[in-house]
Amino acid sequence: MESYDISLEGMLFSFLLLLIPIIISYYLGMKLISSIIESAFRMVLQLLFVGVFLTFVFDQNIALLNIAWVLVMIFVASHTVLKNAELKAGKLLPMLLLFMAVTNYAMLLYFNRFIIDLNNVFDARYFIPIGGMVLGNSLRANIIGMENFCSDIQRNENRYLFRLSMGAEKTEALVPYLRKSLGVALKPTLANMATIGIVFIPGMMTGQILAGASPLVAIEYQIAIMIAIFVTTMVNVLLGLLVLMQRGFDGYGIFRKELIRSS
Amino acid sequence: MELLDIQNLSVSFDGKTILSDFNLSVVKGDKILIKGKSGIGKSTLFRMIMGFGKHHLGEIFLDKVKVDSDNIWDIRKKVAYVLQDTDIAEGKVSDLVDEVFSFKANKDAYGKEQLERIMSDLFLSPRILNKEYMKLSGGEKQRICLMLALLSGKDIFLLDEVTAELDVTLKQKVVEMFFDNPQWTVLSISHDREWEDKATKVIDFSGKVN
Repeated sequence: MESYDISLEGMLFSFLLLLIPIIISYYLGMKLISSIIESAFRMVLQLLFVGVFLTFVFDQNIALLNIAWVLVMIFVASHTVLKNAELKAGKLLPMLLLFMAVTNYAMLLYFNRFIIDLNNVFDARYFIPIGGMVLGNSLRANIIGMENFCSDIQRNENRYLFRLSMGAEKTEALVPYLRKSLGVALKPTLANMATIGIVFIPGMMTGQILAGASPLVAIEYQIAIMIAIFVTTMVNVLLGLLVLMQRGFDGYGIFRKELIRSS
Repeated sequence: MELLDIQNLSVSFDGKTILSDFNLSVVKGDKILIKGKSGIGKSTLFRMIMGFGKHHLGEIFLDKVKVDSDNIWDIRKKVAYVLQDTDIAEGKVSDLVDEVFSFKANKDAYGKEQLERIMSDLFLSPRILNKEYMKLSGGEKQRICLMLALLSGKDIFLLDEVTAELDVTLKQKVVEMFFDNPQWTVLSISHDREWEDKATKVIDFSGKVN
């Protein structure tokens, strides 16, 4: 079986679809047109670059290069998390980066070694796309978790201070916030897992089926990747929140409001 | 013996001076009423003692030790702080009690009889433990907060308008509970007259505004 290459004409038809959101935002006066064009343009540029770059990386297939590329992905991911959670990078980024690197590399090695049973666990064809799926999917949860934690601790500061004044250690006083933020962050991933296959056919499965794999192989991969995503997401969010608990409070246990990016 | 000593404390917030060169010395067993218009730094003083505010000049000593970020955690284990703002929890009252007394610092703080005694002193029915905290009346929430402070076994109390929402009988009762114990050191911010009769010292903040 073979997959069909999309022709240039096909690509043009794809861009043609963008006229619909552009027309809608024009008539509703949403001032979105420039962001739509900018986002689409960025997507094309980034993917073009990645396409060329990945062709090179896949051809070379050098373990070190693959590891380095995943590190770039992790760096961009942790940066994006902080930016979208409206947090300043300075104090939080190094630790978050370290934690995310440990969990994501560990999950990748486990996945490739024990689940797929690859001879070369650093094989570019697996290492990079699977790394991307796991990271990309845990990104949103991470943002939700950190945002929720910061806004809760500020909105309900009184409750937190009450616990401190009742003699709680910082960790004891923060555990209820941690529990809640982690729960909120995991909800979308859990919902995804529960509705997968029926409500939506995920990208990985679609990709494999389009590439000619049998649906049965596709679902095996899908189940394995979904579990990997869920586990990594939970650990990533937990570690992200621990970074906030560690770095986000001063010696008196008071939340450092200066970490929040002022809009 | 001097227990709490505040020297030249100045606090400003957003460029506005809230406390300026404030001094106070508290001896063990003192019962101090702090009164004065709202918004002139009475609550800020308590927040500073508990380490909940920054940017202050001057120094605070507890038991002759200067309060800083290292020992504030021990101070919070010695000093009970109760506020008029009682938005402290969601869920059942008993869960709140369990949570507070699951903290390492409070593990052996109280027994069941003590809980029952304090609840009956505050006219709280045992049934209240099964109710949702957020659904309680203002006065009930206030009494739950006082109950937690009393159960914690501490002997220094900072009370910020804790009788404002209570009826006259309860006001009287609460004042007696705190001011009649000779071992306790109590600082109470209040507009209620009941405190004044039993206070060993009254500080009127209105006279201290610059």
